[in-house]
Amino acid sequence: MSLLEANNLSVIYEPRGAEPTYAVKNASFSLERGEFVGLVGESGSGKSTLGFAVTRLAKAPARISQGTILFDGRDIASMDEEELRKQRQGGFAMVLQSGMNALNPVRSIRKHFGDIFAAHDHVPKSKRLARAYELVEKVELPRDVLDRFPGELSGGMRQRVSIALALSLEPQLMVFDEPTTALDVLVQHAVMGTIRELQKSENFTALLISHDLGVVLESTSRVMVMSEGVIVEDGTSEQILHDPQHEYTQMLLGHYADPRAEVVEVPGLLVRGSTISLTGHDTVLGVVSPADGDPVTAAPSAPATPVRRRAGRPDAAAIVVDDVSKVYPRPRRGSDPVTAVDHVSFTLEPGQSMALVGASGSGKSTLAKLITGVERPTSGTIHFGEARVDRLRRTGLRDLRREVQMVFQDPYSALNPLHTVEYALMRPVLNYTDLRGAAARTRVLELLDTVGLTPVEQFAAKLPHQLSGGQRQRVVIARALACDPQVIIADEPVSMLDVSLRAGVLALLDGLRVTFGVSMLYITHDLLSARLVTDQIMVLNQGRVVESGQTAQVLRFPQDPYTMQLLEAIPQPQRAGAGR
Amino acid sequence: MWYPLRKLGLLLLTAWAAITLNFLLPRLMPGTPADAAIAKLAQNGPVDPATRAAIEAQLGVPTGDTWSQYVQYLGNVAHLDFGVSYTFFPQSVSSLVMNALPWTLVMVGLVTIVAFILGTLLGVLAAWKRGTWLDTLPTLGGTFTSAFPYFWTALLLVFFLGYTLKWFPTSGAYGLESTPNLSLAFIGDAIGHAWLPALTILVTSVGGWILGMRNNMINTLGDDYVTFAEANGLRTRTVAVKYAARNAILPNLTGFGLALGGVVGGSLLVEQVFNYPGVGYLLFNAVTNQDFPLMQALFLMITISILLANFLVDILYGLLDPRTRR
Amino acid sequence: MTAVVNLPEPTGSTPPHQTAGGADPAVPKPHGPASPLRVLSRGASTIWSNKKARIGVVLLLAFVALAIFAPLIAPYGASENGFGRNQSPSGSHWFGTTAAGEDVLSQVIFGARISVLVGFIAGFLSTLIAVVVGLSWGYIRGPLAEIINFIVNLVLVIPGLPLMIVIAAYLQNGGMTMIIFVVVLTGWAYGARVLRSQTQSIRGRDFITAAQFAGDGATRIVFHEILPNMTSLITGSFFGAATSAILAESGLSFLGIGDTTTVSWGSMLFWASNSNALLTGQWVLLFAPGLCIALIATSLTLINFGVDGLSNPRLREGTGR
Repeated sequence: MSLLEANNLSVIYEPRGAEPTYAVKNASFSLERGEFVGLVGESGSGKSTLGFAVTRLAKAPARISQGTILFDGRDIASMDEEELRKQRQGGFAMVLQSGMNALNPVRSIRKHFGDIFAAHDHVPKSKRLARAYELVEKVELPRDVLDRFPGELSGGMRQRVSIALALSLEPQLMVFDEPTTALDVLVQHAVMGTIRELQKSENFTALLISHDLGVVLESTSRVMVMSEGVIVEDGTSEQILHDPQHEYTQMLLGHYADPRAEVVEVPGLLVRGSTISLTGHDTVLGVVSPADGDPVTAAPSAPATPVRRRAGRPDAAAIVVDDVSKVYPRPRRGSDPVTAVDHVSFTLEPGQSMALVGASGSGKSTLAKLITGVERPTSGTIHFGEARVDRLRRTGLRDLRREVQMVFQDPYSALNPLHTVEYALMRPVLNYTDLRGAAARTRVLELLDTVGLTPVEQFAAKLPHQLSGGQRQRVVIARALACDPQVIIADEPVSMLDVSLRAGVLALLDGLRVTFGVSMLYITHDLLSARLVTDQIMVLNQGRVVESGQTAQVLRFPQDPYTMQLLEAIPQPQRAGAGR
Repeated sequence: MWYPLRKLGLLLLTAWAAITLNFLLPRLMPGTPADAAIAKLAQNGPVDPATRAAIEAQLGVPTGDTWSQYVQYLGNVAHLDFGVSYTFFPQSVSSLVMNALPWTLVMVGLVTIVAFILGTLLGVLAAWKRGTWLDTLPTLGGTFTSAFPYFWTALLLVFFLGYTLKWFPTSGAYGLESTPNLSLAFIGDAIGHAWLPALTILVTSVGGWILGMRNNMINTLGDDYVTFAEANGLRTRTVAVKYAARNAILPNLTGFGLALGGVVGGSLLVEQVFNYPGVGYLLFNAVTNQDFPLMQALFLMITISILLANFLVDILYGLLDPRTRR
Repeated sequence: MTAVVNLPEPTGSTPPHQTAGGADPAVPKPHGPASPLRVLSRGASTIWSNKKARIGVVLLLAFVALAIFAPLIAPYGASENGFGRNQSPSGSHWFGTTAAGEDVLSQVIFGARISVLVGFIAGFLSTLIAVVVGLSWGYIRGPLAEIINFIVNLVLVIPGLPLMIVIAAYLQNGGMTMIIFVVVLTGWAYGARVLRSQTQSIRGRDFITAAQFAGDGATRIVFHEILPNMTSLITGSFFGAATSAILAESGLSFLGIGDTTTVSWGSMLFWASNSNALLTGQWVLLFAPGLCIALIATSLTLINFGVDGLSNPRLREGTGR
């Protein structure tokens, strides 16, 4: 008998004042004892809803509308609250996506354990402390973490505590809902490692819900792929990797590549890395139409020759960062001042494309703030042409921003929800150019055409909530291009997008950069995208540049241990079933 | 900085600002309150130069040296010397205030704490049982009663429970025949007289606490740690009390500090209706008789009391929220 | 007000079972042409969909109508005093007469004018100050913000009614203008604080930085990017400030501060109390004006239940947890 068997399960979503929709449609699957199964899908596929349904945590407005969930032979879909509560010990446990907020901020970790033991009485009172020690050690935390409050722990530590708490229930089934999504790359890798080891040593059945097929294939023996509320494929990890049946799975897989390979290809982008030769620029062999799901044409329809700069505009200038440091005052009493950027020097030449990579806290975003004049360095100088960026005042900053523009990480936050696309694009046109009235509007429509949002008239009138994530990011890119800048700072421009949308946005960014002769500083933790769109790379660790050079060169033949660590942390579908 | 110490510093700074505001108010107003006050005082007999100087320091004269008056005023406040009342001549203002303050502090203080606790409990229950009658009744009832003007509630209670049903005495803080002492009989008498004003404040203020706590609790019930606690099968009671309510009470405490001024202001009106010999009643007398020294001292004492109460709430907050200990 | 809009919150507004990166396409999104009118009507329908708020709107409109058409509705003039004194309710005087021989029902109807007027004017002025202070306070950084913080906290903890009484005593018989002045003086701080924290949270979002990069100045950013996102909070502040203004006015009038010859619900109770209506058993005279104050204040609070739902979806009506 399977441990869990869902039959014809549907979850309906009934928000007030809106049409009900099915988040999960007629899902049937089973989990065998001791199995590690992945559940993959993009945002809105219903995977988390399904996870909440099988652990009976779905809350209004979501509701299980039909079907049965047999856990250990008993139907839990219709079980009453108190019986269900008892089932949670020795039954099914869940680790939430937002481990950061899953702990009660006013209760110590010790009391979190105490509450669970008191609720189920499954550990004798005299052994509870010892059991708590044992559990935190299992998730590789020191014992004194028990005396801490959640606010005193880092994100990774909090997620480990969540896992230990779930483990204390001695569950037969553990559901992990995006357990590492909110964490830093290196921490993600470490926490996933711990989860894999625990699954083997404790031998519980595990369901890993993730948007990242790479992470899932690396850990699980079987994978279910979900799309629009339906499980479209269910097979062993090897089958999924080597012989995907459903086109959706095939599409997802197509977006994975190893940045260390000689030839890297995702839909729409292809780069070939020279071996050890240092002769230069990787060539973008072709910008293919991206399969990013948006009804757009991707290839920039801009003129093939770089646009002529208007009279009175300065010639292309380099950004020269010389021995720059940024030290923040100590965040609280007793701690040390934070050195976010530590004696960094580099030059971004006109037309160049450079990646700035590192884990969170490596100082890459601080460096972006310094270059754009949002913050001032503690020491060192930053030049943009003749201008000293670190000394600019209001009008100087305005002049700088006419030439140095930014593309933001979160397309859901980078557009004011109340303004139309036209308004967002019109602002820089009116502020930085002499175009007015009909001419300005023509320019706005031209920009929309450039980023492939056609029919332009329709897109101009839309509000951000009427656009998909990828379309929003295209608007953000169009806005950055509106004043015809020389430099674009792109801060993790695709990390919030679904995997399938990333390549399209990247291809657009790269194509426009080449077409308009704009230089780009590409900030990311994602080495694959860095490989795809940059020639030069700098690896930052704790504010210092640990390695720099040509992107293909550095990624294919890394010298610094930190770079190797970052490369190692990238989920590799090819490792599917490894060690099994 | 250490949290309680920082709050203490803030208390002192705010108290200083309130004292200074009290000094500036009569000076910012059109007319010269000091002349009016001296003229009033002169009705009781000749005014000696020292008293004149004290009044001028307190209320300001256009020709005076404001700075030296300020210094003198600060000194007087430090000694709780607010001069002589001319409504109750020749009693000193401070003795009048000190006689009135305990009545208000004890009655209003106790009933406010009771109302806060009761309202918080009802708010927790309303949010936990959202959509049932346990939610609708206290929410709608609380919305309605918190819209009652304090004095109107007082009038209604006097009319129905006092005059019509004759359950409680309707006026004063103790019977006309007794004098304040610490005998059990007197305390019983005082409690009997406190019932109606206390009930008025309870009825009118409890709704605000119910609504505030309900909103906070609905918010915390949607937080991830509550979902995770449920996923871990914690007892329903533990989830409701130690997870949801325990966090919801923190913003409610902040709200308590902010709303305190409103409750105290309302209780002043209540004292007026019941002729209750507290600071509100005295303040009203001072205002009708234009007894500026008494009025100013009362306002200062009311403000300082509220600042102290806020300080205590802040300290309690610090004890309840580990995040302030960092 | 140009638009009432539900700003997607960075945390909490979405159901727990969603992946990073935004809205769940499983939730239907409103489509159609974007216009301020549509946004406004969406906000209005969110408020209207709340049963409590709907009662509040109807109640408030009834009082506003009463105030506007008072001369048409009231059987007699507000200060017409040729009737018998202290009469009990009768066919010609449904609510009886006052100690000065005025018709109680007419006074109650005309009294709505003062409350509605004070509520709207004082509520509007308090909110205006709250918006100006709250937005600039939330946008600026540095020592000036600290100073504003101190002043706002001071105004918040200083008890409003005693301060009003003291100022009114110094000002001597200023009438309704004076009452509105003191109510506004003490009533803006709470709204300013709420708006400031929302300003700070909006200012941290990328579209503000984006507007800076697009060349917009601070004033334009505050008024075109931040302000429109706070309409629901500002609406809430307005109704909150109006409620406290109505209650404060009635309290001051009841104490006889201001002009006691103005017919307002508070001054009616002042006269009723002074003429010992309690002893003469004229319970309607005591009951009616106070009930009206309570009802109009309730209507504003009820509307705010719906307004709360605009900015915080968790507070929209619903059952269960």
